Amino acid sequence: MDRQQEYVLRAIEERDVRFIRLWFTDVLGVLKSVAIAPAELEGAFSEGIGFDGSSIEGLARVSESDLVAKPDPSTFQVLPWRGGKHGTARMFCDILTPDGEPAAADPRNVLKRALAKAADAGFTFYTHPEIEFYLFQPQENETDPLVPIDNAGYFDHVARGQGHDFRRAAITLLESMGISVEFSHHEAGPGQNEIDLRYADALSTADNIMTFRSVVKEVSIEQGFVASFMPKPMAGQPGSGMHTHLSLFEGDTNVFHAPGSKYGLSTTARQFMAGLLVHSGEITAVANQFVNSYKRLWGGQEAPSYKTWGHNNRSALLRVPMYKPNKGQSARIEYRGMDSAANPYLALAVLLRAGLKGIEEGYELPEEAEDVVWELSDGERRALGIEPLPGSLEQAVETMERSELVADTLGENVFNFFLANKRQEWTDYRAQVTPYELARVGLI
Amino acid sequence: MPDGAGGGRVSRAPSLRARLARTGFADASRAADLWESGFLAGVLAACEAAELDGGSTDGGLGAASTALIADVARAADPDLALLALARLGEADPERAERLTQVLADPAGARRNLIAVLGASVATGDWLVAHPGDVELVLRPRNGVAADPANVRTQLLESVGADPDAAMPVASVRASDGALDEMRRAYRRALLTIATEDLTATDPEAFLPEVGAALANLAAAALEAALALARAELSDHGAGVRLAVLGMGKTGGRELNYISDVDVIYVAEPADGLSDAAEASALRTGTKLAATLARMCSMPSREPALWEVDAALRPEGKNGPLVRTLASHVSYYERWAKTWEFQALLKARHVAGDADLSAEYLAATRPMVWEAAGRENFVEDSQAMRRRVEDNVPPAEADRQIKLGRGGLRDVEFTVQLLQLVHGRTDPSIRSANTLRALQSLSAGGYVGRDHAAELGACYRFLRVLEHRVQLYRMRRTHLLPTGDDDLRRLARSMGRSPEGEVAGATDLVARWQATRRRVRRLHEELYYRPLLPATARLSADDVSLNPEAAKARLQAIGYRDPAGALRHIKILTEGISRRAAIQRQLLPVMLGWFAEGPDPDGGLLAFRKLSEELGGTHWYLKMLRDSGAAAERLATLLSSSKYVADSLMRTPEAVAWLGDDRELTPRTPEALAAAMNAMLLRRDDATDAAQAVRFLRRRELTRGAIGDVLADVPVTTCAEVISPAADMALAGAVRIATQTATAELGRGGDPSAFLVVAMGRLGGAEIGYASDADVLFVHDPHEGADPKQAQDWAVLVATTIASLLGKTGPEPVLPVDSQLRPEGRQGPVVRTIDSYAEYYERWAQGWERQALLRARSVAGDAELGERFTALIDPLRYPADGIDLAEIRELRRIKARVESERLPRGVPATHHLKLGRGGLSDVEWTAQYLQLCHAGQTEALRTTSTLGALAAARDANLISESDAEQLTAAWELATRLRNAIVLSTGRVSGQKVDVLPSERGELAGVSRLLGYHAGHARDLEEDWLRTARQARVVMERVFFG
Repeated sequence: MDRQQEYVLRAIEERDVRFIRLWFTDVLGVLKSVAIAPAELEGAFSEGIGFDGSSIEGLARVSESDLVAKPDPSTFQVLPWRGGKHGTARMFCDILTPDGEPAAADPRNVLKRALAKAADAGFTFYTHPEIEFYLFQPQENETDPLVPIDNAGYFDHVARGQGHDFRRAAITLLESMGISVEFSHHEAGPGQNEIDLRYADALSTADNIMTFRSVVKEVSIEQGFVASFMPKPMAGQPGSGMHTHLSLFEGDTNVFHAPGSKYGLSTTARQFMAGLLVHSGEITAVANQFVNSYKRLWGGQEAPSYKTWGHNNRSALLRVPMYKPNKGQSARIEYRGMDSAANPYLALAVLLRAGLKGIEEGYELPEEAEDVVWELSDGERRALGIEPLPGSLEQAVETMERSELVADTLGENVFNFFLANKRQEWTDYRAQVTPYELARVGLI
Repeated sequence: MPDGAGGGRVSRAPSLRARLARTGFADASRAADLWESGFLAGVLAACEAAELDGGSTDGGLGAASTALIADVARAADPDLALLALARLGEADPERAERLTQVLADPAGARRNLIAVLGASVATGDWLVAHPGDVELVLRPRNGVAADPANVRTQLLESVGADPDAAMPVASVRASDGALDEMRRAYRRALLTIATEDLTATDPEAFLPEVGAALANLAAAALEAALALARAELSDHGAGVRLAVLGMGKTGGRELNYISDVDVIYVAEPADGLSDAAEASALRTGTKLAATLARMCSMPSREPALWEVDAALRPEGKNGPLVRTLASHVSYYERWAKTWEFQALLKARHVAGDADLSAEYLAATRPMVWEAAGRENFVEDSQAMRRRVEDNVPPAEADRQIKLGRGGLRDVEFTVQLLQLVHGRTDPSIRSANTLRALQSLSAGGYVGRDHAAELGACYRFLRVLEHRVQLYRMRRTHLLPTGDDDLRRLARSMGRSPEGEVAGATDLVARWQATRRRVRRLHEELYYRPLLPATARLSADDVSLNPEAAKARLQAIGYRDPAGALRHIKILTEGISRRAAIQRQLLPVMLGWFAEGPDPDGGLLAFRKLSEELGGTHWYLKMLRDSGAAAERLATLLSSSKYVADSLMRTPEAVAWLGDDRELTPRTPEALAAAMNAMLLRRDDATDAAQAVRFLRRRELTRGAIGDVLADVPVTTCAEVISPAADMALAGAVRIATQTATAELGRGGDPSAFLVVAMGRLGGAEIGYASDADVLFVHDPHEGADPKQAQDWAVLVATTIASLLGKTGPEPVLPVDSQLRPEGRQGPVVRTIDSYAEYYERWAQGWERQALLRARSVAGDAELGERFTALIDPLRYPADGIDLAEIRELRRIKARVESERLPRGVPATHHLKLGRGGLSDVEWTAQYLQLCHAGQTEALRTTSTLGALAAARDANLISESDAEQLTAAWELATRLRNAIVLSTGRVSGQKVDVLPSERGELAGVSRLLGYHAGHARDLEEDWLRTARQARVVMERVFFG
């Protein structure tokens, strides 16, 4: 029994915790939870909790379904929203095979492998997500239209707005769980909010995003709304993206920073960006994993649909944010493609590996896009060599299928499973008849 | 000598030169010049003046001068010593007189000076620059014997710090001269140590003291550097307690003259435990640590000391330089690897806050001693061992004193492994010092006394060698020099034998090589010998471990059932038989070899069985004892392949091949045919004869299997061993069957010519250990023979062949399958060649053309074979390729086969034959290309898949990279199928064609294919990737 574990056991006793939730994530990014009683915890630390992996999306290797969830004591947190005398706490788990090796298909392990690859090259990967989501009034039944809780816009201050209370409550909970919030505001869509988490190493970021989603759901239920991370819940309104700021450090030095060069970008940063651009098509299926994701990507409203980069160009896939010249440590680039429904472990892993590839191979960064890309004509875009991102989940899957980079990042097992699952999603979707079709062709 | 008459200098010169050359000066004329001019001339004059009689003796020199020259000649490098003396005398005229006195005094300390100058050019340079320090050499005080506290005081005082302060701070800034003061103090201390070392009567016995003194000195230097670092900060970093722990040789008090000093830093706020205090403590601590390292290594007027290396810290070079105690502890609890605990074993307080160091050690020590119980201990420690051996650049391998097999690191590894295994339960063996640990292991009864003593001697020799190499230029090096002069100097600086003799260069190299070999052997003796029961001790100095310790030791190297292993060991080694006696010699090293394979327990058990079988023969144990290679091979085979273990049990004489490489090379088809002929001539009975043929085949398979296991299962075995063995078996069966049938049907001679055509993978000479033989039977009635009778005869021959080879018997079967014949199962088993011609002309379908691509006549009537080939060539190599309808049909069949033939429950990605990117995907692609293009491109007319792919690539029908990916998948699938049989011993059933999903099985297979232990998953990834890529090519090329 190590100290961290002892600390957890003591905390449980002192705070009268009655349930401990063990959290992990399936390949699609859905949070899984198994609750155990405090008496079981000591065993869980030493042996792990066995479970049947074949019933969890994509987790088990074929014909070897026994898996073990082993809680990581450093992620211990009492869940504040459960409140009351008898508390509930949670820990993230690493998924292991029965002989104690990390399971190849554990998304946390996929990210850890990518981070190890970066560490081999001497880099640490820091990220900072801006998570957008909608708040709706509860529906009576599933087919009712979604009604946002307000009609405000970007940065609007809503008098006596429920959104304030909501954000305050959510942020209080997050902070009480050790997740720092950078800032929060009303977003462009009605009922749409954005909360930015403080920058952290990528593994913590991914854990934090998973926690964040739960916290937001809990608070919304408490306050009588429904929170949604769906990429594009309402046609004609902005989708919910998860713009993510990325930077690489060597020890304590931000290697994206080069004083005096254009935008303060180092060669490493430019190569990293080039990597992201070159491979952006291949990683789209991971960063934008649902049929619905493509309605955000291609639904206008400032979503980035083309593989471009720019400085303060809000139409670009990659943006180089302004930072003060004396704050070289905050040099970073912003990937604007990802949406709020991505599996953060896998998505951060592929972003990192795409960027690293650019550095390894010394890619040249193409010219900056100074125009607003979506205002150009198709011909102009062609002339400028601006390529689109995949237009649908189907295209994204086809592109990913040919990607050695993504296969290597996810590992062959996750790669296979992910492709099969997404192909199935596309097939199922294609079989749907939507209200749009009914309205348009129903009467012919 | 020409003349010795005159007393003048001019006439004395030639004789002096000759004398110098005789006494060992390499450049005698330069040496003579030095003696005869300047300072040294004065010294000689002083010698002679001191001699009262003044009479000249030998060569015009007085006895005193002769003695001085003889003393200089005794230096490791007399020329070097002489030159340094001359420079020294001329460097500082004020001291010249004192130096002259010293040198002229035979009873004085001149020998110290000569010994130091003759072994170290760096020391000579130092003394020339700091002539005052000569006194230290002449009267070394407090060198090796110095109390660590004294050394610390000396160095701290050199920078004006108070040694008694809780946080000593230099009173003078580094840039104001304190840094150089500190370095001079360090050099002076180093000089005294080197002097005592180089003048020791027995340097190897003296080594432990030297190593400890150097470690103490390094610790003191770190303390002074920390004091300097604190002085750089305005508040002297008073808010942070910083502890510096020495690791590696510094920690073990066994440092060498110059190497990186390994450290770990711990920082805590001096007071208050708030987060802010902690953050600020870490910031300041990091600054202090970085400055401390710079103080030791940055350029200044006085040379740098060494690099301070903090790479052993948590997360290595990527981790923060300084951590709090809690952060260290949580890292070790959660993330640390086995080697990190092994490194921690050496940790010791060297500088800074001693209390904090003590807390650190108290918190981490228990984890060190639990490390052997960690999940991946066995694999990790094997990987560490590989690192020891592999990390040597080939160019240096023969000169490395530290790394590589039998180097210093190897000795340390052996000792540390034993400490980790037994230190769990026995605190008495936990010393961080290699030699002391070895002594306590011996005293505790964990290793044999004489073996421990011997290993200790090897270690001391290697270390002294390393010291001498480093002393020469005070450079960090672990390479034995290659030049004759360098080696000679080195040999002479190693000290004298009890008889007062010095070694020459050749002796030194020989001793060094012998030591390295000995270290390797001693690892086995130390680790494995004590596992033998007390009754099996070879000498009174051997020890026998108690059962618990023995189990721990076996477990630590990978035995899964140590109790069972101990039983086998006991049975193998007990008793007074000759067999037991030899096995007592052999077993310790074999236990180690078994442990290197994936299944040590299985290997040991198989060895026991084999020994019970063969122990009585005259050659078996003798061969194992006399040929190390054979014993190692046997151990590898038994612990990695059940198939080979079973084969050896059935063909024990094959063990004899292990001692002879020629026996392991595949037999040529001609040699096989000759062997078969000889065997058949001696047998009349058909069943008996068939068993003989089958025996021959089994023998060849065993040969192939042994070769495979020893060489990562090369793909060529299929074509060179397994397929020829099947060809031979078929040829033998045809011969027996025709004789039988002819006899049975009562004819005078064979009514017909008979031919066996190999099909499928056998046709391509690509079969594996578990394959069937796919064939077609053809006959052609002789002129005048009755067609009906001829057909009956041929059917009898065909069915007899199948039963001779396929019926269960003592020898393994080769199932013969003729399903690919016209009309399949409905058609007659055998047809005449005319019937084939008629059939093919009228009915031949796409799939039959495709099947015929692999047809190769293999046994029976050769002339008929040629006619058959001529018959089918136009079919399988259509001049204009195949038309679109046929292509479409081919694709449709392939698609249907894919969906239908894959067994249930097996994922398509894991089936090696029928799965995605498996054998069948590649073969259909190759065959498709052949059907389309072999009419035009002659090179495509081959039965071999890889041959066809290569030809298609050469003819630009597919791209280079496409061919490469298809070939890679096919080769890997083929090797995997063979490795599965070899590893599991299973030769039938569905699992033979499926990549194992059970981890143990996958691990066994991966080891056979040359993957390191613990990398089974890499094999799975490699297969999935290779197959996926091949499938992409296949879909593009085949499905269009």
